[in-house]
Amino acid sequence: MGTRFRFVARRIVIGLIQLIGLVLAVFFLIRLMPADPAARLVGMNASPEALAAARHSLGLDRPIAIQLAGYLGFLGEPGLLQGNLGKSWSSGAPIVTEIKQTLPITLELITLSFTGAFLVAFPIGTLCATRPGGWADKGTFVFSLFAGSQPEFWWGVLFIYIFFYLLNVAPPPLGRLDPLGSPPAVVTGFITIDSLLAWNFVALADGLHHLMLPVATKVFVLSGPMIKMIRQNMVRALGSDYILYAESCGLPPRMIARYALRNSLAPALTLIGVLYGYVLGGAVLIETIFSLGGIGQYSVGAVLNFDYPAIQGVVLVITAVSLVVYLALDIAQVLLDPRVAG
Amino acid sequence: MSPTAALRRKAAAYPTLAVGVIIVTIVLLITLTSPWLAPFPPMSATPDVEAPPPDLIDVPGLLARAILGRLDKPVHWFGTDASGLDIFSRVLTAPRTDLVIAISANAISMVSGTLIGLLCGFYRGWLSELVMRISDLLQSFPVLISGMILVTLAGRNAGNIILALGLLYTPIYVRLARVETLSQRSRGYVEASRAIGLREIAIAARHVLPNALAPSLIQASVMVGFGILMTAGLSFVGAGVRPPTPEWGLMIAGGVDDMIQGVWWPSVFPGVAISLTVFGFASLGNGLERVYAR
Amino acid sequence: MPDDAVRVTEAVVSARDLTIAYPVDGKNIVALRDFTLAIQPGEIVGLIGEAACGKTTAAVAMLGLLRPPGRVLSGSVTIDGQDVFTLNREALRALRGRDVGLIVQSPRGALNPLLPIGRQIATVYRAHNKVTRREAHDHAIAMLRQVGINDPERRFHAFPHEISGGMAQRVLIAIALSSHPRLLVADEPTSGLDVTIQADFLDRMWRTIRAAGSAVLLVTQDLGVIANYCDRLLVMQDGAVVEESPVAAFFRGPQHPYSRSILLMQAERGAGAIEAPPADTPPLVSIRGLFKRYTLRRTRAVLQAVGGVYLDIRPGETLGLVGESGSGKTTVGRCILGLEKTDEGELVYRETKIDMRQGLPRALRPKMQIVFQDPFDSLDPRWTVNDLLAEPLGLHTSLRGEARQARIAELLTLVGLERTTATARPRMLSAGQQQRVGIARALACEPELIVLDEPTSALAPAARTAIILLLRALQQRLGIAYLFISHDLATVKHLSHRVAVMYLSQIVEQGDRDQIFSQPRHPYTRALLAAHLDTDPTRRRPDHPPAIRLEGEIPSPVDLPPGCYLAGRCPVALPRCAAEKQDLRVFETGRLVRCWRASEADLFPAEIDP
Repeated sequence: MGTRFRFVARRIVIGLIQLIGLVLAVFFLIRLMPADPAARLVGMNASPEALAAARHSLGLDRPIAIQLAGYLGFLGEPGLLQGNLGKSWSSGAPIVTEIKQTLPITLELITLSFTGAFLVAFPIGTLCATRPGGWADKGTFVFSLFAGSQPEFWWGVLFIYIFFYLLNVAPPPLGRLDPLGSPPAVVTGFITIDSLLAWNFVALADGLHHLMLPVATKVFVLSGPMIKMIRQNMVRALGSDYILYAESCGLPPRMIARYALRNSLAPALTLIGVLYGYVLGGAVLIETIFSLGGIGQYSVGAVLNFDYPAIQGVVLVITAVSLVVYLALDIAQVLLDPRVAG
Repeated sequence: MSPTAALRRKAAAYPTLAVGVIIVTIVLLITLTSPWLAPFPPMSATPDVEAPPPDLIDVPGLLARAILGRLDKPVHWFGTDASGLDIFSRVLTAPRTDLVIAISANAISMVSGTLIGLLCGFYRGWLSELVMRISDLLQSFPVLISGMILVTLAGRNAGNIILALGLLYTPIYVRLARVETLSQRSRGYVEASRAIGLREIAIAARHVLPNALAPSLIQASVMVGFGILMTAGLSFVGAGVRPPTPEWGLMIAGGVDDMIQGVWWPSVFPGVAISLTVFGFASLGNGLERVYAR
Repeated sequence: MPDDAVRVTEAVVSARDLTIAYPVDGKNIVALRDFTLAIQPGEIVGLIGEAACGKTTAAVAMLGLLRPPGRVLSGSVTIDGQDVFTLNREALRALRGRDVGLIVQSPRGALNPLLPIGRQIATVYRAHNKVTRREAHDHAIAMLRQVGINDPERRFHAFPHEISGGMAQRVLIAIALSSHPRLLVADEPTSGLDVTIQADFLDRMWRTIRAAGSAVLLVTQDLGVIANYCDRLLVMQDGAVVEESPVAAFFRGPQHPYSRSILLMQAERGAGAIEAPPADTPPLVSIRGLFKRYTLRRTRAVLQAVGGVYLDIRPGETLGLVGESGSGKTTVGRCILGLEKTDEGELVYRETKIDMRQGLPRALRPKMQIVFQDPFDSLDPRWTVNDLLAEPLGLHTSLRGEARQARIAELLTLVGLERTTATARPRMLSAGQQQRVGIARALACEPELIVLDEPTSALAPAARTAIILLLRALQQRLGIAYLFISHDLATVKHLSHRVAVMYLSQIVEQGDRDQIFSQPRHPYTRALLAAHLDTDPTRRRPDHPPAIRLEGEIPSPVDLPPGCYLAGRCPVALPRCAAEKQDLRVFETGRLVRCWRASEADLFPAEIDP
């Protein structure tokens, strides 16, 4: 237990260092970009005085170290360390507020997608593992290779066409809820959770109805690599020496199944980590198509409007979330598999 | 055994490789010959606006006449979009953007990533640790969003997309090359070469590098597919190439509003094109992996 | 014949015309064909054959097990009259836990990597006996103690990857013991174990079997194990049984040509002796005061891999370097060639003195070459044999073009390979052929000394013998000196002129081959030789238990004690041994022993005859 604890502690420290590195990286990279934020602020045809005034108002004429200190919150005005990310140039609202509104939407989408993909991939992958080389296995292989290489934004559009336009089963892609309905009070920002907390089942159903197509699109694309990985892990576990030996000892089949499962779980976590980064990026496209209003869609708006503070805030938050997720996965892996630390 | 029979045997043994090679070859051919294949100039509007593609029943007849050169005027095989641009010609010409960007970006990232990864794998030390940490950090940035930012701020053109993707994909190759190099270093034949008296540099160049390259090349095939998806995705949200450049993602984006109203052809055909192309690259990558693992 | 019929019905396990296949890409690959075998209670049947001949498939099938996706095409296996492949799950499960036991080749692979070993013993016990957790826990600890694992309360919590192979194998015996098996299947249980650990394991297994009266199927490639422990043996080739006979008869004269080829190889090894250079010839290579230490990253402890080794190798002679895990023998070979950094040591090549900390000077490299243990790993898989041999020729000779090709052809013939092998890639060659390429590559540099680092350990017995014969022939023809590093005493005996025995980083005894093998003086050498299994079925180990036996595990050379390193395990150790540092002393001419008690006349009791 001692080695594992030390490993976890070291990993957390590395994670913190990574976060610090991230903050610095975001800060400097934005400033390294060739475009000039001041020019964006006042327009392309502004006079030199207006430009200079804009630069001054943005604090861009101060030395870099002072800018960094200001950004972090050391100069009296609230900065990063106080939880302030500045104000959006497009809306004027504090960016933290806007992110607080939009991030949960994306997280909800991702969580539902991962869960859905897992519910689909797990039985299929396991079934194929028990009959490797058979027709079901080969067919599933082709499917997963195909699904994993699809442009999800196109499939989203296609699903809208089929299920909304042709079949009229899905709602129009105009957001998370019917604009005429009454949304539940915002507690977590998750439509599903908030509706349940408010006992508002109409909103719950409506929310799920609107999420149906976006989640289905993501599940379709995600299931490809997930099926492949689950199947691979299962085949390896089922064919392993320790399963054979456990059977020879006459252990109950449920226990053996548990062994196989637990042993294939640890390598699964690595791939979940990889997929997660991929999914986070893909959320941008899906949110845009279905107008869900998540942080992905927000970031598109921020970028197209050259809203520098918003861009900075978004990148910071999303990458930080990724780092935390990787950290959690690494720790879970160590707790599951003693060989990792040893 | 005759060459065709041998080829057929190989294709049967590695079906994904066969499928991948076929699809990729077709796409490459289209890329090269599209100026001659396209019936209409891809960026000039025609008077037919939002014209649907020909009915399925008419297609075989039209096709036969096209091959025999007996068409009186060129057909809009895939219909036209809201601006009157011929979709078929644009679908055929789009790979000149998509594929070129994807391949160039991957070329940059593969060369630089593999070199860095090789060096990091060979020379352990604080510098190589630092480089790996930076690479990891770079890799944790969300690719699409970072790509959007880089391209929009630097200017929306193909060259910048290539640079942005090249940068964002480099860490993947760095990690791959480093892992391979570390694994090769402890292989017996590296020691055997040392025992014979070969110098370290010669060992690296002649033994380690070629063996470490193979996984990178396999990965490259899959990554070109992802590059196409990324380019299309960027253009779709408006952070990629500018209209009216024919580009699959851009075309799909242009057809979204139409789709909701039932005009399906501007979005569907470019989507099918991407779908099959990326599947082809993924299949090729899978096939190469099987061959290499043998 | 009526007797046989009666016996078959009494058999514990009986397989009849069993055929098993594995579907690969839709086709059925037959792994086992018409396998028929009946084992009586108390009988030990051996199963021998090359890799992939189907012996493992047969072995686990006797327990009613199939590695997925295997399928039974025809035939049956009955245990106590019940057909195991048609039995319902619950009955089969009960049967397995109660009446059968399995020991596999890689014991750490058999244990669940995520659970502590003690828990695994307890789990199996609880699955078949109605006991509480506490009782199962205590039972597990008792079992660990019974199989000779020290400190069982602490070891209970160890994970499989934290224990040695030998210890893991004992855990498997502990699990098998728990159920007093009527049928025990052991699949290559000792491959990969050190000689003394193997002897200990086999003795324990023997006691377990005898106490329970079990029927045993013992799969192995080691003829020594068969000769000493089995009553009957089956020879398999390509999925079918080609011969079945009582052990004594087999060793006297096997019937099937394949069996004969196995035994013939054994016999041929002993024939012919090579002349040793005269005793006063100046050495070709001398090693003086070689030290190599590792500092462990995590615990900062110092692991002494080589602790002061002095060796002389004369031109054209073979010095055998023998030892078990942790002895440092491989490290010595690698340090000589500069493949490891040395902490201290001097290498004297003819008259030239070289500080080993600087590595081996490039000028000397062609003179001293090495052949590695893993033949495939030591060849670049992308190169052809031609390229592999051209590399050293390009470096050390001025042969180019036609002349170089001619030399390559010459080298191939020298090592017994066809000239057409030159265009092949390593993957297309068998392990034996790959090793020959490795030898050819070493020869291409025209060396005077070749370090052979366990060159035959990774090969099947037939290939093993062939390589040994080749090495002997090459030495006779080219006069190359060998440093032959191995743990296999039989091969060392047949190839070496002089032998040095190492234990935990030091040489404990050194002398002529005949001196060492017929009159070992150091307790460790004695134990090592006693642990070795001879292929003489008339003098079996269980009937003639050796007088000297080492207890416990081989310790890791970390934090070594001040006195004799063997003191903790030595059966004739005295307090002085543990306190006083032991030096190599001259025992008689050309003989060195690191034990102050070596000169005592009746140090070791006479062997016990029942």
